[in-house]
Amino acid sequence: MSNIDPKVLRHKVENIGTLPTVPGVLKRLSGIIEKPRITLVEISAFISNDPALTTKILKMVNSAIYGFPGRIASVSHATMLLGLNVIKGLLLGVSVFELMQKTMNGLYEHSLACAIASRVIAQKKGLKEPEEISVAGLLHDIGKVILMLEFQTEYEAAMNEAQTKGISIFEAEKNQFNATHANVGSWLAEKWRFPRSLIEVIEFHHRPALAKNAPLETAIVHMADILVRARGFGFAGENYVPEVNPAAFELLKLSAADIKDVLKELEENMESAEDIS
Amino acid sequence: MPKIPVAKLEPGMKLAKPVTAKNGMVMLGEGTELSETWIERIRDMDIASIFVEGPPVQALPKEEALANLETRFAKVDGKPYMNLIKKITKEHIEGLYE
Ligand SMILES: [Fe+2]
Ligand SMILES: [Fe+2]
Repeated sequence: MSNIDPKVLRHKVENIGTLPTVPGVLKRLSGIIEKPRITLVEISAFISNDPALTTKILKMVNSAIYGFPGRIASVSHATMLLGLNVIKGLLLGVSVFELMQKTMNGLYEHSLACAIASRVIAQKKGLKEPEEISVAGLLHDIGKVILMLEFQTEYEAAMNEAQTKGISIFEAEKNQFNATHANVGSWLAEKWRFPRSLIEVIEFHHRPALAKNAPLETAIVHMADILVRARGFGFAGENYVPEVNPAAFELLKLSAADIKDVLKELEENMESAEDIS
Repeated sequence: MPKIPVAKLEPGMKLAKPVTAKNGMVMLGEGTELSETWIERIRDMDIASIFVEGPPVQALPKEEALANLETRFAKVDGKPYMNLIKKITKEHIEGLYE
């Protein structure tokens, strides 16, 4: 059983810039993103000053997130097209990529696939900003990275528990931490001033019925997560497909043909997306 | 467009995506036909694998892919809508081998 106090956990997450285990890139980034009034121009300059970051962002917008390969050639074009929240989210996503590879092999692939599936479902539902949902899919499990960084022993114990008892990693986390990656991710998203809808998607992607402000967005990422696991892309902490929330499934009203399309697009995009690094 | 480990590259293969350096600089363009020399240069670049043209290669034999699908769904058999999701996914995976 756990002896970690969720309040202490939250405090640590909110002061991520001071944690010794957190790599420099994330610290620099949190310094930028936490500013109350960061502008599109500042964030564009921050990316453009770093050639490696520029490459990663452009690869990402030209494949998985935006869905129109090869259309966006510059960071300034990308920021204007996608807007502050999407760019902020992408910046976080590509910056934790290496961390994801190191902390949980397969989590990045899982996240990328969820980003693609979320976008495709959002487009099918006619949502105005499918890129925002895509970013929510990319970041939905970011809490796992933070937990793994800060509490590696406990997190590995949670993964073992999930494996041996055949329970979900979400349940095993509750036992280990009295909190889940969904809580941790939402605290971070709040601290980094992400929009309410994104915070809610992260917080409730395993319990979509609790989403009050963004139920459709949350249902989309919930469904994307399940389809990605169904197909077997990546690894998110345990090997089983979790149950879909029936109300979320009914809210989405996806036909069998829709679901097939999502899987098809997933297949096509994942093949070329794997080298985003 | 299969991703091939650098050790398995052969002359005559065509790049489906450019080969880029860590900083993003394009070293060899998309569509380049690989010669012995190019393969040697790529080996000296510290890259694990690259994309070449051709149909995608499935990493697992079909039987194994379908057996894994069964395992993944073992906990949710009969739960609302899960058999439907499984059925659609199964058809999708079978389609990859046709
Ligand atoms: Fe999750
Ligand atoms: Fe997930």
